[in-house]
Amino acid sequence: MTFIGNEISSILSKNRNKICDSWKKQLIIQSRTLVELIGLNQVEKITQEISDSLIKAVKTINTHEHEDYKKLEKQVAELSREMSLRNITPTETAQLIFFIKDAIFPILQEDYGQNSIIADYILFINSIVDKLGLLTFQIYLESREELIKEQQRAFMDVSVPVVKVWKDIVLIPLVGMLDSSRTQLMMETMLSAIEDTQSKVAIIDISGIPIVDSLVARHLITAASAAKLMGAECLITGIRAKISQTLVQLGVDLSGIVTKTTLADGLQLALQMTEQKLI
Amino acid sequence: MEKYQDSRDSGQGQSVSTTIFVASYEDVIVARQKVRELMNEMKFSLLDQTRVVTAVSELSRNIIVHAGKGEMTIIKYDESGRRGFRCIFEDKGPGIADIDLAMREGYSTTNSLGLGLSGSKKLCKNFSIQSTRGKGTRIEIAEWK
Repeated sequence: MTFIGNEISSILSKNRNKICDSWKKQLIIQSRTLVELIGLNQVEKITQEISDSLIKAVKTINTHEHEDYKKLEKQVAELSREMSLRNITPTETAQLIFFIKDAIFPILQEDYGQNSIIADYILFINSIVDKLGLLTFQIYLESREELIKEQQRAFMDVSVPVVKVWKDIVLIPLVGMLDSSRTQLMMETMLSAIEDTQSKVAIIDISGIPIVDSLVARHLITAASAAKLMGAECLITGIRAKISQTLVQLGVDLSGIVTKTTLADGLQLALQMTEQKLI
Repeated sequence: MEKYQDSRDSGQGQSVSTTIFVASYEDVIVARQKVRELMNEMKFSLLDQTRVVTAVSELSRNIIVHAGKGEMTIIKYDESGRRGFRCIFEDKGPGIADIDLAMREGYSTTNSLGLGLSGSKKLCKNFSIQSTRGKGTRIEIAEWK
């Protein structure tokens, strides 16, 4: 099959203003909410820019580099990213792209309605526009995933705070689920805090951990023995009645670690251990 | 992921079951939450909830550590005035070679405390385990009021 991109490109380029106009009209009729959200000027700009790039891209899409097509993809990706930031659904964004077909096909129909080559033209445009539509979905997903990862990172940052509560005493309040990566983070932050502040006592408060199973217990034991190696004593506070009963039934032996019910008790003990008094 | 099954018509009295696919550490949290929700709804005490949810945590994590993936099915029942539920943990993993040894306190093949199975048995009112080498493991716990 001979390459028909050149012909299509010149047809489109001849009707460029008509396409932009009819595309814009389609959007105003069919995607009211989207037009209202981003404004008519913006819609006009998008339709013009993408039409222009498309005209260039179909001409050179068969070349080895197809720079123009890459540029078009980039433009569409950018558009999709912007739309997802504005909380526009991926369906609406994809529709925005798909409506260009409704602008182009009638023009082809008008000029080549009797000619059998119109089927090839339509297939050609169809495959390009469909790919662009799918691209908007992919970019939408990617930008969402990025957001989730960012939030996870932000969460990890705050998930293990280390507080110096008194001279020689650091406190690590734990909240939520203690998985391996958070435990690792806890160990690192605790040990480096002990090193940096030359603290003698580290209090790990587990009031915010709903379930203490054998894995959490093992993590606590490991943390305590690591602290001990650095010459610091490790207290675990926040062991409530139901957790203590469960731990005993489970068979977890925390006898090597000093534990207290409340953080207040733990702090008092820590002050005693470091021979300090509240005046 | 969840699937609901209503087996009310099967003539086993009133029972409703929920299956949760366990394939990641996040699913362990989901499994815990489902059981806690149910126990809350059935008005179990907070101590009972903590006790059983801890066992669920151990057993569902065992699925991930040893088999990679599996299922937990919760079956709620109400038979002749006795209300309770069963949790079935099933996987198609490597199975357990020596159940007696695996049930021993402190025995572990993964450098853990080795309390998961023995502890869960002590934490739950009813505990049964079946395992076939190369076929998988099925653990059932039951709790009632």
